[in-house]
Amino acid sequence: MTSELQIEQLKALMLSAPESVVTRIIAVVLSVALAAMVLWLVRTRRLREEFTPLWVAASLGLALLSLRFDLLQAITRAIGAWTPSATLFFLGMVFLAVLCLNYAVRLSRAGLQLKNLAQEVALMRHEIQDLRRRGEPGSSTGPLL
Amino acid sequence: MSAAQPLLIIPACNEASRLPAVLEGLEAAGLDLEVVVVDDGSSDATAEVATAGGAEVIRHPFNLGYGAALQTGYKYALARGAKVVAQMDADGQHRADQLGRLLGPVQSGEADLVVGSRFLEETAYRMGPLKGLGRRLFGLFGRWVGLRITDPTSGFQAMNRRVLELYGADFFPTDFPDIDVLVAAHRRGLRIRECAVRMDPSQRKSSLHSGLRPPYYVYRTALAFWVASARAHKNGTR
Repeated sequence: MTSELQIEQLKALMLSAPESVVTRIIAVVLSVALAAMVLWLVRTRRLREEFTPLWVAASLGLALLSLRFDLLQAITRAIGAWTPSATLFFLGMVFLAVLCLNYAVRLSRAGLQLKNLAQEVALMRHEIQDLRRRGEPGSSTGPLL
Repeated sequence: MSAAQPLLIIPACNEASRLPAVLEGLEAAGLDLEVVVVDDGSSDATAEVATAGGAEVIRHPFNLGYGAALQTGYKYALARGAKVVAQMDADGQHRADQLGRLLGPVQSGEADLVVGSRFLEETAYRMGPLKGLGRRLFGLFGRWVGLRITDPTSGFQAMNRRVLELYGADFFPTDFPDIDVLVAAHRRGLRIRECAVRMDPSQRKSSLHSGLRPPYYVYRTALAFWVASARAHKNGTR
């Protein structure tokens, strides 16, 4: 009974610990840097716009949590974590899982498109060869594709 | 090729050593067929062997999978206006002299899809315990939706254009089209029939279903079966 009470007290103590100013600054800088990097990658055409929503949402979320510490504490209580840093780790893992699923969906679609494209190439190559065999006008004898 | 002439699809990947015997068997069977070998990115002389054997050859630029190779054949058949299509494997398991039994019911209009079964009648063919278990399991899947199939993993089939139009769609799996595609056809009201055929043991040294593939195969087929059932249910073709 006493140890349970001590654990509860310890948990309450950790949850109510004041936020470090340094941590807040680091979090804000990180979120701004992430958003800036995403925008820079889009501007230099190395990242397509349709891939950005998750990253922008992540940087905005990080900025929001770093500015509103009470919100982070509320989420920490809601998920049963002891410290805000554990909550951040948890949210980071959720973000990565969603990101992976998003890429799996995109890969599935790209795989299907690739399969259809390869089949089209195979069928067209066969048709070209067939035309050449029959000596249709306009068909050359050069290499296919 | 005329539209009335049946088309035979043979998907092949690195089958240069076994394909000549299959093509010779077809010639010996004396059937009036257009034979199309879909070379699924082989690194050996499969395409050359097929051409030398008198078959039309369609070459995938790289390996896409057994199901994708079949589907390329279906797409070719659709483009050519074929009305009846059969398919057989290039590993010597399917016998050319049995093709007539598959094609008959499709050509006469009795069935849309005919599946060659090793188990409809007592034959000398013996399946390994693991494969046998998979066959029974997939058979149960079929029964669940009212489709009685004794050999759901058989790739020895014949079909008409209605089936081709269905199988040419994006849902068709690139790896192993089995009970899931049969269920999709059944749920769309296509008439599926089984026909007893004799098959030989596969000459392939490493089976498609060896190593860690069997558990994955069962898992994937179960998932695809569920998707095929759910889609058909949603489309109101139950």
